[in-house]
Amino acid sequence: MSTLQQESAKIEQLKHQSFDELEHVAGRERENLEGWIPELATADEVREALEKAFDYRGDVTVTLKDGTVVEGYVFDRRSGTSLTDSFIRILPSKGDRGKVNVAYGDIAALAFTGRDTAAGKTFEAWVKKYWEKKAAGEKNIGIEAEKLD
Amino acid sequence: MAVPISQMFTVASYVLKQKIKGRKRYPLVLMLEPLFRCNLACAGCGKIQYPAHILKTDLTPEQCFAAVEECGTPMVSIPGGEPLLHPQMPEIVAGLVARKKYVYMCTNALLLKEKLHLFTPSKYLSFSVHVDGQKEHHDFSVCREGGHDQAMEGVREAVKRGFRVTTNTTLFDGADPNSVRAHFDELMAAGVESMMVSPGYTYDKAPDQNHFLGKAKSRRLFRAILSNRKKNWQFNTHPLFAEFLMGKRNFECTPWGMPTYNIFGWQKPCYLLQDGYADTFQELMEATEWANYGAKSGNPRCANCMVHSGHEASAVDYGFGSLKGFIDTAKAFLSGSYQDAGAQKILNEWQPEHRGQLVQIAAPAAQQTELVSGD
Ligand code: SF4
Repeated sequence: MSTLQQESAKIEQLKHQSFDELEHVAGRERENLEGWIPELATADEVREALEKAFDYRGDVTVTLKDGTVVEGYVFDRRSGTSLTDSFIRILPSKGDRGKVNVAYGDIAALAFTGRDTAAGKTFEAWVKKYWEKKAAGEKNIGIEAEKLD
Repeated sequence: MAVPISQMFTVASYVLKQKIKGRKRYPLVLMLEPLFRCNLACAGCGKIQYPAHILKTDLTPEQCFAAVEECGTPMVSIPGGEPLLHPQMPEIVAGLVARKKYVYMCTNALLLKEKLHLFTPSKYLSFSVHVDGQKEHHDFSVCREGGHDQAMEGVREAVKRGFRVTTNTTLFDGADPNSVRAHFDELMAAGVESMMVSPGYTYDKAPDQNHFLGKAKSRRLFRAILSNRKKNWQFNTHPLFAEFLMGKRNFECTPWGMPTYNIFGWQKPCYLLQDGYADTFQELMEATEWANYGAKSGNPRCANCMVHSGHEASAVDYGFGSLKGFIDTAKAFLSGSYQDAGAQKILNEWQPEHRGQLVQIAAPAAQQTELVSGD
């Protein structure tokens, strides 16, 4: 579940209006997390940072207290009562690609190292580009899916 | 007939069996997502934003079959990503058909024509082609000129070769009900078996965050579209779900009704929201805090959702859950033209928000943007 901060637009809208009466729904405000290295000094900071890592659509790098480094995509988190029984679940980007469980309490450092794949592709940017290309006489204009290699 | 009798019978007997067993929560359709990668990048879709190593990962046929056995639904929908990009998709579909599952393989149809020879027509298999409206609407929705022509070519070829073909249309803010109705005419003329239409979900990862329909506008739009139906229009959604979209009745969400399985596991709680994953179907059913979902829960991410994956199962359950529900369903099946003078008025007075070379967007001088759609 994403954080309250990340849900701000919708929550704000809900505070003032009934959803049954809305004509148009506010979208989400994006946080720029790419490159972020959160402080993990307190339990709250750890939980908040890992919640954001779960919501992030890029890879992260996790350094464990024993020095092991795991880089990959955080696809799940299980929140327990303490940092030792709370886990993030990662699909590593390299090597054996099996799911890896990491206890919150074992994490020494976290970095949002991968590109945020949900960022920077606004519809407005596409519309602007579309009209530029159209004006330049281009045909068959479109957004190609990104190359994976 | 929108759905073959054998399919209706299979689904009805499955639901009755669940009821007789006293199961409070049972799934209806498995949403099997064997991959996330796609050959389109639609503005309203929040499904494909992942790192390359995730996009390159596929479920194996064995994983797919195991999920289907675990879940036990009579129907399997295969969304994605674009399923036709999966190298073993024909094997997956054939395996599901051999298990007598009714399969809806969702596709943008860009590759359908060239891949059709890999599939065999069957009453168990339907290609559910995503077409978001008339030519210009669709092309802009999928952010690619020519996408509509390619998709329709795929539809026609599949129909010609004897496949069941259905369609799926997703609407966002800016949709024009008159154009959607003309789109239905075009689809039926192309020979599709039946159509589905639904409002888009407010994916927070979608590129476009400014064109989500509010519930009030959705209801007005769907009332205008689905009232005063033409005789030849066939829909493959439950008629009471259509009434829900038209604002004629309310259903709470049934988030377990159409569970999703993908490379991460069983998605909590539904196809649309990602609140983590369970490793088994049983764990999904037992470990998910179901009370946290649906409009009634107050969860802001569910507040605006009217999507079929959460609400059509509610319509089906209501239809089987009481004599009143059964009678309502029967009535909807029998008298389904929904004559409504008020809806006709809405339709007549509806102002398309922009008229340009592409109907969804204003010319650049106006500095405005319009309809987008997606998954
Ligand atoms: S309301 Fe929509 S988003 Fe929320 S659980 Fe139901 S189907 Fe999922």
